[in-house]
Amino acid sequence: MSTITATLDTDRARRLRLALTALLAAVVTVGAPFYFAPFQVFQLTMVLLYAVALAGLNLLVGFGGQISLGHGAFFAAGAYTAAVMLDRYDTGHLATLPVAAVGCFLLGLGFGVPALRLRGLYLALVTLSFAVFLPPLLKRLEPVTGGSMGLTVDKLQPPAWSGLAEDQWTYFVVLAVTAVALLLARNLLRSRVGRALLAVRDNESAAEVMGVRLSLHKTLAFAWSALFAGVSGCVYTWVIGFVSPDSFSFVLSITLLAGLVVGGLASLYGPLLGAAFVMYVPSVAQDISEAAPGVVFGLLIIAVMFVAPTGLAGLAGRVRGAAVSRLTRTTSAAGDRTPGSEPSAPPTPADPAPVDAEPVGAPPRTEKE
Amino acid sequence: MSAVTELLQQVVEGVGSGAVYASLALALVLIHRFTGIVNFAQGELAMISTYVAWQLVASGMSFWLALPVTLAVSFAGGMLIERIVIRPVQNAPELTMVIVTVGLFIFVNAMAGLIWSFTVKDFPQPFPDGGIDLAGVRVDWSTFGIIAVVAVVMGLLYVLFQHTSIGLVMRAVACNPASARLSGIRVGRVLMLGWGLAATVGAVSGVLVAPVLFLEPNMMGGVLIYAFAAATLGGFDSPVGAVVGGLCVGVAETLAGAYVDVIGADLKVGVPLVIILAVLLVRPQGLFGRAAVERA
Amino acid sequence: MTEPVTDSTETTGRANAEPHFLKVAGLHAGYGQARVLQGLDFSVARGEVCAILGPNGAGKTTTLRALCGMVRGRGSVTLNGTELLGRSPEQTARLGVAHVPEGRGTFNDLTVEENLRIGAHLRTGRWRRDGRAERAAVAADLERIYGYFPKLRQRSRQDAGSLSGGEQQMLAIGRALMLRPSLLLLDEPSLGLAPLVTRELFEIVRAVNEEERTTVVVVEQNAQLALDVAHRAHVLEAGRLVLSGPSQEIREDGQVAEVYLGVSVRSGKGG
Repeated sequence: MSTITATLDTDRARRLRLALTALLAAVVTVGAPFYFAPFQVFQLTMVLLYAVALAGLNLLVGFGGQISLGHGAFFAAGAYTAAVMLDRYDTGHLATLPVAAVGCFLLGLGFGVPALRLRGLYLALVTLSFAVFLPPLLKRLEPVTGGSMGLTVDKLQPPAWSGLAEDQWTYFVVLAVTAVALLLARNLLRSRVGRALLAVRDNESAAEVMGVRLSLHKTLAFAWSALFAGVSGCVYTWVIGFVSPDSFSFVLSITLLAGLVVGGLASLYGPLLGAAFVMYVPSVAQDISEAAPGVVFGLLIIAVMFVAPTGLAGLAGRVRGAAVSRLTRTTSAAGDRTPGSEPSAPPTPADPAPVDAEPVGAPPRTEKE
Repeated sequence: MSAVTELLQQVVEGVGSGAVYASLALALVLIHRFTGIVNFAQGELAMISTYVAWQLVASGMSFWLALPVTLAVSFAGGMLIERIVIRPVQNAPELTMVIVTVGLFIFVNAMAGLIWSFTVKDFPQPFPDGGIDLAGVRVDWSTFGIIAVVAVVMGLLYVLFQHTSIGLVMRAVACNPASARLSGIRVGRVLMLGWGLAATVGAVSGVLVAPVLFLEPNMMGGVLIYAFAAATLGGFDSPVGAVVGGLCVGVAETLAGAYVDVIGADLKVGVPLVIILAVLLVRPQGLFGRAAVERA
Repeated sequence: MTEPVTDSTETTGRANAEPHFLKVAGLHAGYGQARVLQGLDFSVARGEVCAILGPNGAGKTTTLRALCGMVRGRGSVTLNGTELLGRSPEQTARLGVAHVPEGRGTFNDLTVEENLRIGAHLRTGRWRRDGRAERAAVAADLERIYGYFPKLRQRSRQDAGSLSGGEQQMLAIGRALMLRPSLLLLDEPSLGLAPLVTRELFEIVRAVNEEERTTVVVVEQNAQLALDVAHRAHVLEAGRLVLSGPSQEIREDGQVAEVYLGVSVRSGKGG
């Protein structure tokens, strides 16, 4: 009896804590544009829009266990969709969003169907080839895309009633899009599709035996993740007001993947952390040398895969899990766990994000020679 | 020049560039056979090897002396990478290993820029200028040279794998590492050898292509895509397929660039994408690959 | 639970058998959190065929894997006085332990003869192409293996992948024998094979044991068959030894067979 009330108490405390954290986060996110200088607000806006692309990539890589080296290309497709619509047809900004989203979803299906019939490795090849091919294609389609010069279009303008500056208004619009996108990503993972994805990632053959249609779900996951990248690219055009083929070289694709890995695969907060990396690391490291961002990203990716395959977002959880398991180890008599084994955090009943605890793969075991 | 000689001329050029793709594709296939993954850093490793060769030549060494030194350095480098970067994640899921090679790709690329800067460098053409005329088709000595070098590399690999005991042991490890271990084979060392070998074969492609493309850190990015197409076409498990695939991709690329107006020189890089997609739709295991077996 | 050691020498009927050629003491092993073996003690004399029996999941395969280093274990396993635990499979192979894994583990891309040569690679070395004597010895070994398995000689140039299940099992055993092992570990050699083929295989194992005095530890579902060949048997249940003794006693103890060997006494399914 007493244990039940205790659980209820801690449960209530948890919820209270959660609510307080959420409130604090809301205050900070809403207050930020009024506190920071316009350029910093712009940077935060970029973090938010990259987070959308990374949330999509996370669906594919973190939860689907597939790899895309061409998400920059879908990002570019979304950005160009918006730019061309604004430039040629003078549609409003908002109208470009569904078109970019649906277009990229279909593009994702188109590449996913052949690439995902077999093992995941081909998806990486196809997407990388696409990412390399896209910039020259954009240059060639000059009448529509403006060629190497690119297109300059209207940025978002704050309506008079808002009383906000341009950077603040843009920030809030992007915040809204990002919030919706992240929520959508979360719900996707809780849907049938998401559960099928997890099953596929963790054990393909078992999932197949259980009746999960592998290639269908993998392809759908890829299409969804392309959609997110497209939305992110579309919003990019709203914010920057300029697109050119060279902004979307395949370095962008690589950077997106790097950001996601460092931020944390298969974590709900990973994309946000990763987006901050994509935004800030290059701009900081670029001051040192042109090569510095690459050196930092390359080393970080490898280090993360070695040490914490769950990325920054997972690191906190792992530390917590290790502490818990150490506690239980001292109390229980069975103290013969091998030191290399993964400290598995005990499952908490009211975990707000059940998928959050799942690392993309077991941490690398060290091979004994 | 008649249409036929014109066509033959293009085919010859295609075979020349195809030989380079074949060599990098072969490196990819070697790694794939040994570790079951695609090494996305393969092109960058070749690029850094080419820089080593450039550095040696720039410091006064003759090209034909610099080449074996470069290959030896590449071999050692490949072994080192297996030991330091790949071994720790060897038992991790495939995705982890692939991401590590992507990290290696980014890192190596940036390190080359850091050490040698991103400015384009002239790479010495090791073969004499000029060429010969074969029934109206002009074949440059450099084309001959490239094909000859790649042929020699293939021949050496064939002898190594089919006619030496170390080659037999390497094939056994590629086929079934667990059983190899039970037979007393030190699998770790063999994998190191495999990576060293792949790096060496890849380095050949870099050194051969550098005089044409000019040396810069992103030189191999495009070549890697062609090598992917070559390996997909030939089958990721088949060294012979990699060679045949490389030649086919080279010829297809040259012909498409020359005869299909829409493609032209700038969109040629779309050819490998089309080839990969077509192969996946029609014959996913590639020309020489065995019916696709999932390697969990 | 274990029998007195003196007893084991008597029942094998081998005067000069070393009672502790393979000695397993307090062996614990498992996978991750799952502990499969909970303290195993037994010993095998030199030149003996020892069968490990028991129902599915009893830990038979794990025992073999712990012996050869595929699974890490705690406790002690000594072969002729040398500790085997804590060594990798390649190291134990170098100490003369040849393990034929469940599911055979042939090199399917290699020809039959290449498979066998891999078995001898420890002796020929990797770079040395000299050693005329060594090469002659390998050739003689090949002959010896082909003598046991005439079918393999007919197929020596074929890819191992093209062989039938029984032939692959023969090849796997042949490759293990090329190591000239002092201890041969066989994991479920009857798995997936027709009863007739299985019987033939066990006859060959008996012949190898008798002619070369190779010590054999065989794990088998098909208890009847294994007991025919083995000198002694150990019955495992849930990671513990529940019964040890000369094969004959185990076979004759009908109740024991009923209780512990249950399904496996029926040899009809052939594994």
